[in-house]
Amino acid sequence: MAGLTYTVFDTTNLSTAEVYGKTLVELAKEHDDLVGLTADLAKSTKIGILAEHYPERFFNMGIAEQNLFGVAAGMATAGLTPFVSTFAVFTSMRALDQVHTDICYQNLNVKMIATHAGLSFGQAGSTHHCTEDIGIMRTMANLTVMVPADGTETAKAVHAAYHTDGPMYIRINRGFDQKLYESGDYEFEIGKAIELREGTDLTIIACGSCVYQAVEAAKILEATDGLKIRVLNMHTIKPLDNEAIMKAVHDTRRIITVEDHNIYGGLGSAVSEVIAEGGKACGFKRLGIPDTYSIIGLHEDLMNHYGIDTNGILDTVREIMGKDFEEDDDWEDEV
Amino acid sequence: MDNQERYANIIFLNAVLPLLKVIIEDDEKLTAKFSKLTGTLQISALCEEGKVGTHYEIEEDGIKVIKGVIESPTLELEFKSIELFNGFFKGTSKKLPKIKGIRHLKLLMASLGGLMKMANLLGLSTLPPEEKEKKLLVRLYFYLLSSGISQLNKVGHPEISKWVKKSPDRVYAWTVENDEEMSAYLRIKAGNSKASRGIYKRSKPFFTMRFDSTESALGILMEIDDMIESTIKGKLVMEGAPEFGAQLGEYMTVVGGFAK
Repeated sequence: MAGLTYTVFDTTNLSTAEVYGKTLVELAKEHDDLVGLTADLAKSTKIGILAEHYPERFFNMGIAEQNLFGVAAGMATAGLTPFVSTFAVFTSMRALDQVHTDICYQNLNVKMIATHAGLSFGQAGSTHHCTEDIGIMRTMANLTVMVPADGTETAKAVHAAYHTDGPMYIRINRGFDQKLYESGDYEFEIGKAIELREGTDLTIIACGSCVYQAVEAAKILEATDGLKIRVLNMHTIKPLDNEAIMKAVHDTRRIITVEDHNIYGGLGSAVSEVIAEGGKACGFKRLGIPDTYSIIGLHEDLMNHYGIDTNGILDTVREIMGKDFEEDDDWEDEV
Repeated sequence: MDNQERYANIIFLNAVLPLLKVIIEDDEKLTAKFSKLTGTLQISALCEEGKVGTHYEIEEDGIKVIKGVIESPTLELEFKSIELFNGFFKGTSKKLPKIKGIRHLKLLMASLGGLMKMANLLGLSTLPPEEKEKKLLVRLYFYLLSSGISQLNKVGHPEISKWVKKSPDRVYAWTVENDEEMSAYLRIKAGNSKASRGIYKRSKPFFTMRFDSTESALGILMEIDDMIESTIKGKLVMEGAPEFGAQLGEYMTVVGGFAK
């Protein structure tokens, strides 16, 4: 059950890509060095909003992703701050050689804003899903990897990216993300997890759109099962907040990671590395896409299918805590 | 009997008639009348297989609704056929049922009083003036729709049973903002379905139709207002993907079509 919940009106307001585009315009107003680039996806990635306001600072490279990142690297060496946007699947795979050699190896100040990540492209199909990018990108030396939880946090991440020197990869969705933060009135620091709920039974560490799901699950678990669940918004995958992870191991003894990404190489893997090296035992479970290419469908159906929505999290927490998800299996005693 | 009659019959028997208990318990006068009575009331229709019906066990501590028929109820309203039963509840037939146990006059009068109130409420085309009645009517519609969809699944309605069969464990809910009493939900899972009243608390419903007031809810439930317009005005919030809202709306209409 359950998945992303939104109304038809939220779909435009909550689109993380929409917020990204608007934030870029705000930054461009103040900083002349900011330029935008895309590979024929100005509209889909919302970087086109920058083009509407500053056409002379926007460059469409055509359907040529490798060229896109090569040109961005060149612009960075000339002192500009390029924000490059295309789909996550193209950023992390099609143009990986350029990302690796032209940008990360040179430690250049290029900001890669990858949209339509995870399974958020839903019905576009498995070739456009991107469930490998966190694993790939966090192995690129010099690169910072961020996965904001909603539109508000995307704005914070984009601001932080501009004001922090070096290559950055910000992973956002197609849109329609549930709103986690009511306002931007909170502290956002690259590499510092945010504790959204206190708890001592178990910790859920999540990133991206799964953070909202984790918070919803924690609320339900407290109300119905009396469980106190800590929720960490791990918006930065690299550098990872090792301190928050080891504190969770110590305080709660059980950890679940949730991500819209393959369970290999992503948030769960990164957290498990920290736990293993920390030397303290704890119950541990990774929730994400198993070692498979996703089936095709609506994002919320896919999240439900792979158990990374609110109820998938509930199911796993109850399993770990030794409780059933639904005890009532009598279908005939209805009123 | 064709399928349409069969579907209508299952709706009246298992989704509409159980509402009588809700109506009695909401009405102080009716509650008082029934509190002095004991026995079994049965509403039934003769058919090829014998008889179908719903009965009520009336005890001092309350009323229990039970699906199916019993041998010797205290009072029985028996229709000669399912078609006549359906026609009577749809208002297209004035053929009265055979009353068995007429000597239990107080039980008969109290039961007819409850049934009349139910018919009046569900037959309304405009909003009732009293707030209490509005709330009751919202509850009746929520219960009727959730039970109706579940019952149609159980009897093999092609579209609804196909939808339920394909569904993972999901809860669809109806509620009015800030009033938990006006809530109902339907849980479906791989061919199984179950309607329940109140708020589902074990998990987050997969989809919720949330109305901002009783008036907004009745506007949609009584087909006075347009669903899209209500959504635009914020009277109705669909929590969940619009695709699922449209699907649920379609099945609500199916139930409404049979219950009219």
